[in-house]
Amino acid sequence: MKKMSKILALLLTLAMVCGMFAACGGSSAPAATEAPKATEAQAAAPAATEAPAEPAPADDNTLPRNETLYFAGQQWGPVNSWNIVGTNQNNSMAIAGNAGGYRSLMFETLFMFDFMSGEKKGLLADSYEWNDDLTEMTVTLKDAAKWSDGTPVTAADVAATWEVALLTNNGTGGSYKAYVDTVEATGDKTLVIKSKLNDAGKPVNPLKVEDFLTGTPIAQAAWIKTLRERCNDDPTAILNDKGEDVVWSGPYTKYFADEQKVVLVRDDNYWGQDASMWGKLPVPKYIAHNIYADNAAGELALKAGEVDVCQQFIGNIQNLWLEDDLPISTFYDEAPYGVCLTMPTAWYNMNIPVVKDNVALRKAIAMATDYEAIIANAMTNQSPTFAEVPRSLMNPTAGEQALYDHEAVKDLQWAGNDIEGANKLLDEAGLLDTDGDGWREYNGEKISLNAVCPNGWSDWQAAMQIVAAAGDKIGISIEPEYPEWDIMQTRFTDPSQTDYAIFMWSPDAASPSMPWGRCNQFLSSEFVGLQNNWSGNWGQYVNEEADKILKEIPLTTDEAKKVELYTELVKIYLTDVPSFSLMYRPNLFHAVNESVWTNFPSADDGRNIPPADCTDGYGIRALYELELVG
Amino acid sequence: MKGYKKYFGKKILWFLITLVFAVILNFVLPRLMPSDPVSAITGKLAAGMSDAAAVREIYEHYQEEFGTNKPMIVQFGIFVKNMLRGNFGKSFSQYPREVSDILATSVGWTVALQLPAIVVGWLIGNILGAMAAYLRKGFDKVLLPVSIFFGNIPAFAMAVILLVVFGVELKIAPLAGGYAADMIPNLSWPFIKSVISHYQLPFWSIVLISIGGQAIGMRSMSIYELNADYVKYSRFLGIKDSKIVGYVFRNAMLPQITGLALSLGTMMGGALVAEKIFSYPGLGSTMYKAVLASDYPLISACTLIITIMVLLANFILDIVYGFIDPRVKAAQLD
Repeated sequence: MKKMSKILALLLTLAMVCGMFAACGGSSAPAATEAPKATEAQAAAPAATEAPAEPAPADDNTLPRNETLYFAGQQWGPVNSWNIVGTNQNNSMAIAGNAGGYRSLMFETLFMFDFMSGEKKGLLADSYEWNDDLTEMTVTLKDAAKWSDGTPVTAADVAATWEVALLTNNGTGGSYKAYVDTVEATGDKTLVIKSKLNDAGKPVNPLKVEDFLTGTPIAQAAWIKTLRERCNDDPTAILNDKGEDVVWSGPYTKYFADEQKVVLVRDDNYWGQDASMWGKLPVPKYIAHNIYADNAAGELALKAGEVDVCQQFIGNIQNLWLEDDLPISTFYDEAPYGVCLTMPTAWYNMNIPVVKDNVALRKAIAMATDYEAIIANAMTNQSPTFAEVPRSLMNPTAGEQALYDHEAVKDLQWAGNDIEGANKLLDEAGLLDTDGDGWREYNGEKISLNAVCPNGWSDWQAAMQIVAAAGDKIGISIEPEYPEWDIMQTRFTDPSQTDYAIFMWSPDAASPSMPWGRCNQFLSSEFVGLQNNWSGNWGQYVNEEADKILKEIPLTTDEAKKVELYTELVKIYLTDVPSFSLMYRPNLFHAVNESVWTNFPSADDGRNIPPADCTDGYGIRALYELELVG
Repeated sequence: MKGYKKYFGKKILWFLITLVFAVILNFVLPRLMPSDPVSAITGKLAAGMSDAAAVREIYEHYQEEFGTNKPMIVQFGIFVKNMLRGNFGKSFSQYPREVSDILATSVGWTVALQLPAIVVGWLIGNILGAMAAYLRKGFDKVLLPVSIFFGNIPAFAMAVILLVVFGVELKIAPLAGGYAADMIPNLSWPFIKSVISHYQLPFWSIVLISIGGQAIGMRSMSIYELNADYVKYSRFLGIKDSKIVGYVFRNAMLPQITGLALSLGTMMGGALVAEKIFSYPGLGSTMYKAVLASDYPLISACTLIITIMVLLANFILDIVYGFIDPRVKAAQLD
C-alpha cells in the first residue's frame, strides 16, 4: 500500500509539472499562431521582387520584412534626440561615427572615407584642393546636393555648422578647433577651410583638417538659425535640444523610436538619386534596429534571421555556417573574416617605478606573451597573427604597412612566446630572483603587477589571462583584474593613477589622418598629465625624439620622407616598448544573414565596398546594391 | 479611538523619519561608487578627438551642468530642492534625456508584468498551500516536492529554461522584446496579440517561482494553525469542520498578506532577471544599466520610488493591521 501511494505521488508530481508547462505553452498560443504569419511574410518576398515598383506595406503598423533591413550591435539604448548639433544623443543609427566612417543614413559629411583604399569619396562635396603650404583648402560642393526641404546644400551651411560647433564645443568643435581656423563660404558651392597656424606660421596639422571632411556631419544653416534662436544662443540648451524638427540631407529619416527599437524610413525625394551621386535610391525602405539586452540576444536574433547585419564580435563565427548551416557570412570567407583596422593594446603605466625604470621588464613581458594563443582563443582567429603582420605602429591594411621600412625594424620585432629570450633579457638587466621564491625582485622587492581590462569583455579578459600566464613563466607576478567598465574608465583616464600597472585599451582605427593619429596616441607626450585623458598615451610615456617626429609628419608631403619618419617612430616604439599590441581587430564587425537580403559586400566581389556595416563612410554604398533573396 | 490616533501618529512619524534617512541614503550611496560618470560621457564624445584641451573643456562643461564639481552638501541641497518639484534632473547614461521621462516609459511595462505575476503567483500558491495542508496525503506529497523544486530554481535559470524550451527549441514563444520586432506600437488586435505573446515567458518565469515559495509558506502556516489548541478545542466542541477551516485559513493568511504587500512594494524594482533575459523593457533593466553606468540621478530616482513604495506598503499594512488585529496595535502601543 505504501509503495502504491509512493508511485501515485510520483505520477501526480509528473502530472503537475507537465500541467504547469502545458499552461505556459497553452498561453503562448498567440505566438504559435503568429509564427506562420512570419513565414507567410517571407514567402511573400518573391512576389514582392516580381513587382518591385511600389511594394505596399501590409499595414502601417508592421514593417514588411522584404523592405526592412535589420541591424544589431549599434544601438544599445533608447534614442535620446535627433539634434545633429548636439553630439551626445545615443542615436547610433542617425548621429554616430567619426572621420573613419561617419554613419551617413540621415546626415551627411562632405566626403566619405573608404578605409580599404584610404580614399575620400565625394558626398555633399565633389572635390577639395590644398594650396602649396597647406594653409588653405578649397572645397567644391555638389550641385545636386539638397536638404530634405528641397533647398540646396550650400557653403553657408558648412560655415554655419562650424560656427555652431565653436559656440557649443560639440563633437565637431572639440575635434577640429585646434586644427581648423575658419570655414568661409566663398560662393554658393565653394568654401575655404583655413588651417590653424602654429607660432612658426605653419599649419598645426593638415591631416586633421582632412579628417574634418569625412568626420563632420553638415547641418542646414536655416535650421541652425532656428535652433539658436529658440535656445537664445545658450550652448547647453543648444546641445540638449531634442531636434525633432531637424532638416536632413541623407537618404533616410526618422520613422519611429521607443525603448525597444529605432526605425528609419527612406526619403524617396533624396537628392542622391541624381546621376552625379548614386543614380538611385538605397534598396531597403526601412532601416530598423531592435535594442537587445546584450550581445547574446543580438547573436540569437542574427541566427534566427531576425537580424540582417550584425556589428558584434561573435566567437568562432565560422561555426554558424560550417556547423549550424545558417546563411550567415562575413567579408572574408576565411579567417580573419573581417578587415582588422585597430590593435587592442596592453599599456604600461609609467607612474609605477618598476615599470618606468625597466625597459627590459616591459620588453620581456611583451616577448613572453603568447600572441598565437590570444589570437586563437580570445579572438577565435579573427585577427592575423604577428607572424603574418609583424608588430609596428601600423594596422594590417596594405596602405599603412607600406608606410614603414620592414627590413629596418626586423631585428626589433618579436613574435611572442619567447620565454627563453625574455628570461635572458631580465637576467642581463639584473632583475633576478635573489631570494629563490620563484619571483624576480627589483630593489629587493618582489615585482608584482596587475593586468587590467573591463569585466565582461570576454575576449580581452582572455588576453589579460594569457599576459598573466606569461609573467608566471618568467618569474614576474602578474595578477589579472577585471573592474567594471565604469570604474576602469575613471581610473585609466586619470594621469596620476597607480592602480593599474598593465591595462588594455584600443587606439583609434582608420581615418584620413591615420596612421599618424594612432602613432600620436601611442607615443605623444602632449597627453601626459592631462586629467580625463581620452585622447592617447594612457601610460604617460615621454620621448622627446618621438614628439619631434610626430610634429613633422603632418607637414611632410614627400612620401619617401614620410616612410623614413614613420620607420623611426616604429624603431622608438619597439625599442622602448611603452605598450604592446595583443591582437589586430576589426573596427566594425560585419556578419550578415542572407535569408532575406543578399549581395552584401565581400572581399572577392570586385566592387571594393568596405565592410562598414552598410552604413559608415563609403560602406553605405552597400545599401544601394542589396538584393532580395530569390 | 484615542488609542488609534496615537497609533497612527506614531506610525506617521516613523514613516517620515525613515523617509528622510532613505532620501539621504538614496543620494549618498550611488555617489560613493569609485567611478566618475562625467568622465564616461566625455569619453563617448571624445572618441576620435586628439586635442586634449578640447576634451578637458567638454569634461568641465558636463561637470558644470551636472554640478558634480560642487561640494556634496550643495549637490544634496539641489537634489532635494529639485526632488520636491518632481524633477530628478538629466540622466548621465541617457543624456540629455530627463530621468522622469525614462521612468515614465519604463514604469508601465514593469507594473504590467509584475502586478499580475505577483498576484497570480500569490493566489495560486496560497490556494495550493492551503489545499496541501488540509487535504494532506497524496496531494501534499506531490505539492511539497514540486513547490520546493520550483521555489528553489533561481530566477535566471527558470527564465533561461523557458527561453530555450519554448523560444529556441519549440519556437512557440518569441525570444526577446515586449512586442514583435517588426511592429510599430498601435492599438490594433495584431499588436495586442503580439504584446500578449511576448508577455508569456517573462510572466511565467516569475509566477512559477513565486507559486512554489507561497505554497510552502501557506502550507506550513496552515499546518501550524490546524494543530493549534483552538482548533482542537473547536473540534472537541463539535463545531463544523468548514467553519473551523475558515478560522484556520484567516489566521494562516496574516503573514502571507504581509508578504504580498511587501512584494507589491518592491514590485517597482522591476523583474530584473526576466527583463534582462527576455530583453523586456522595464524599470529593472533601466536600473541595472544605471548602476553599471554610475548614473546617479537615475539610480536615485529608481531607488526612491522603490523606497517610497515599500514604506507605503509597510505603512498601509501597519494601519490595516491596527484595524484587523487589535493585538498588533496593543503591542505597538506598549
